[in-house]
Amino acid sequence: MTYELRDHTADVAVEATAPTLSALFAAVADGLTAASCESVPAEGGDRFAIEEAAESREALLFDYLDRLIYERDVRLVLPADHECRVTPPGNAAGSAWRVEADARGVPLDAVSAREIKAVTYSEMTLERREGGDDGDGGDGEWYAYVVFDV
Amino acid sequence: MTSREFDGIRLEKVREHVWEIPREGEMNVPARVLASEALLEEIGEDDTLQQLRNATHLPGMVEPALCMPDGHQGYGFPVGGVGAIDARTGCISPGAIGYDINCGVRMVNTTLTYDDVRGREAELVDALFEAIPSGLGGGGVIDGDADAIEGALERGVEWAIEEGYGIESDLARCEDEGRRPDARPEYVSQKAKDRGRNQLGSLGSGNHFLEVQRVTDVFREEVAEAYGLSEGQVVVLIHCGSRGLGHQTCNDYLRRIETEHADLLESLPDKELAAAPAGSELAEEYYGAMGACINFAWVNRQLITHRTREVFGDVFDADPLDDLGMELLYDVAHNIGKKETHEVAVDADGHPAVGDEAVSRAERELYVHRKGATRAFPAGREEVPEAYRSVGQPVIIPGSMGAGSYVLRGGAESMSLSFGSTAHGAGRLMSRTQAKREFRGGDVADDLESEQAIYVKAQSGATVAEEAPGVYKDVDEVVRVSDELGIGDKVARTFPVCNIKG
Repeated sequence: MTYELRDHTADVAVEATAPTLSALFAAVADGLTAASCESVPAEGGDRFAIEEAAESREALLFDYLDRLIYERDVRLVLPADHECRVTPPGNAAGSAWRVEADARGVPLDAVSAREIKAVTYSEMTLERREGGDDGDGGDGEWYAYVVFDV
Repeated sequence: MTSREFDGIRLEKVREHVWEIPREGEMNVPARVLASEALLEEIGEDDTLQQLRNATHLPGMVEPALCMPDGHQGYGFPVGGVGAIDARTGCISPGAIGYDINCGVRMVNTTLTYDDVRGREAELVDALFEAIPSGLGGGGVIDGDADAIEGALERGVEWAIEEGYGIESDLARCEDEGRRPDARPEYVSQKAKDRGRNQLGSLGSGNHFLEVQRVTDVFREEVAEAYGLSEGQVVVLIHCGSRGLGHQTCNDYLRRIETEHADLLESLPDKELAAAPAGSELAEEYYGAMGACINFAWVNRQLITHRTREVFGDVFDADPLDDLGMELLYDVAHNIGKKETHEVAVDADGHPAVGDEAVSRAERELYVHRKGATRAFPAGREEVPEAYRSVGQPVIIPGSMGAGSYVLRGGAESMSLSFGSTAHGAGRLMSRTQAKREFRGGDVADDLESEQAIYVKAQSGATVAEEAPGVYKDVDEVVRVSDELGIGDKVARTFPVCNIKG
């Protein structure tokens, strides 16, 4: 999986690709970390877990990133080294997309980080593209583009 | 007729500094850009014009959607955008107000002159940086316990003054006297309140800052005198907003709109324009929550003002009010949405209308969305504090670290041209990632100090690079256009002495 920070006049965008949806979520979150801080210490900070559920893949990605920003402000840590497990809705009525994730919370006083205000839906793309291995034995890779308000 | 085209979007010149994107397709109204040719060239370089055109799709938009002279690409609605929407039949859009609800500026006067401060800039910038929380995780001026958060959300600056963080005259010199009467804290989520607890009285980072400035030019003596400004005088400019509490509130309501008003959302060209229909429960709840966030931001700037007064008192060994005259000049928002009554074009049935359908004009209550735009009410309006009513509302335009800022007054044409609005700053020209490639924070700070005697102190070198003077448009040109249009008249120019940021 990989991510790149992209130019945006007032804000910053993260473009990411990954073989699986779970890895893609983690890659975008790693991009959020990189947009916040140029150099994250390799060690330090405790891992914490979060869960989110939403009605669609895009909404789940939005809620997941929104939650990371919330945790940053409340725990006073920079979430880093993200791991995710995304699951599609089951057959039951009202069943939702879910993500179970965890991250290393690097204390903010240990880094020189700047504030990302919010995740946005602006220009958000989340799709599976042809080519590569989707990690589940099929062809294709997952792609995301997310603009953050700075 | 002179026209210009950018990426397939054609603009016709209506008159000097006024460019119109004609109504076509699904647009409810035309759109207008208030800019010189030079500024229009810059505005046309990114997606600003497409975003402005998209904004005209919002239901109930009356008269043209507007882009101020400092407009640039945002998310959904452009920064520098003004959209007036019928409050009875239209909608309210959180994305057209912005994540940082009541991001704004205030200016504090002093009786100090530049000569009083010269030679002590390093001491002053260090003391301010030490005392005023900035950056991520720096806490706030006070601990935001539950009572403090509720007090701030409910009563704004009134609460802060009762708690001893200001003086009576601070109230009168705030837009809306520092308190939105329709604030409803119960509609702000616990998640948002959680984020606010650690941030009550803090600058944050990005383009937010506190700057000690000197007045270098006065353009309208009589108005400057009413504002208490004169050449050589030292003032303090504070630029910040509602921090995480406001950001969270915006996203909370964007998500609720997505699930509760999906049909309206489907009809819009950009998801970030998500809007709640006027009269819906959600519109009322968002309006009340936004009002509470507006109050929170005013308290945020009030607490920073309080701490700034203490620092000046310590550094200059004087009473900040009795000896240094540190009274608030004005506090004005530039990310805000409010119900306001304006005169609009109406059809034969009295409904707001554009083009040939409009046959007369009538007053209507509107949701005026200002996203990166400043209210600029002219002389005589009752919303302008009594002390300034005869000259017009102060408008504070923060510039970049190396280019200075402006104080304007609401211009006589603002009500007819821009729903009583003007620009809010210089407007970004270069992306943050490009800025970091082109500038190093340390070099920028060193150059500002050695070449322009501007002392900068920041939590993050990257922030200094991203906010380098070269990444912004020419604030002089933005203000020239505002002045020539008569929407915001030049009163005074200020130049940085010390700057602290996150």
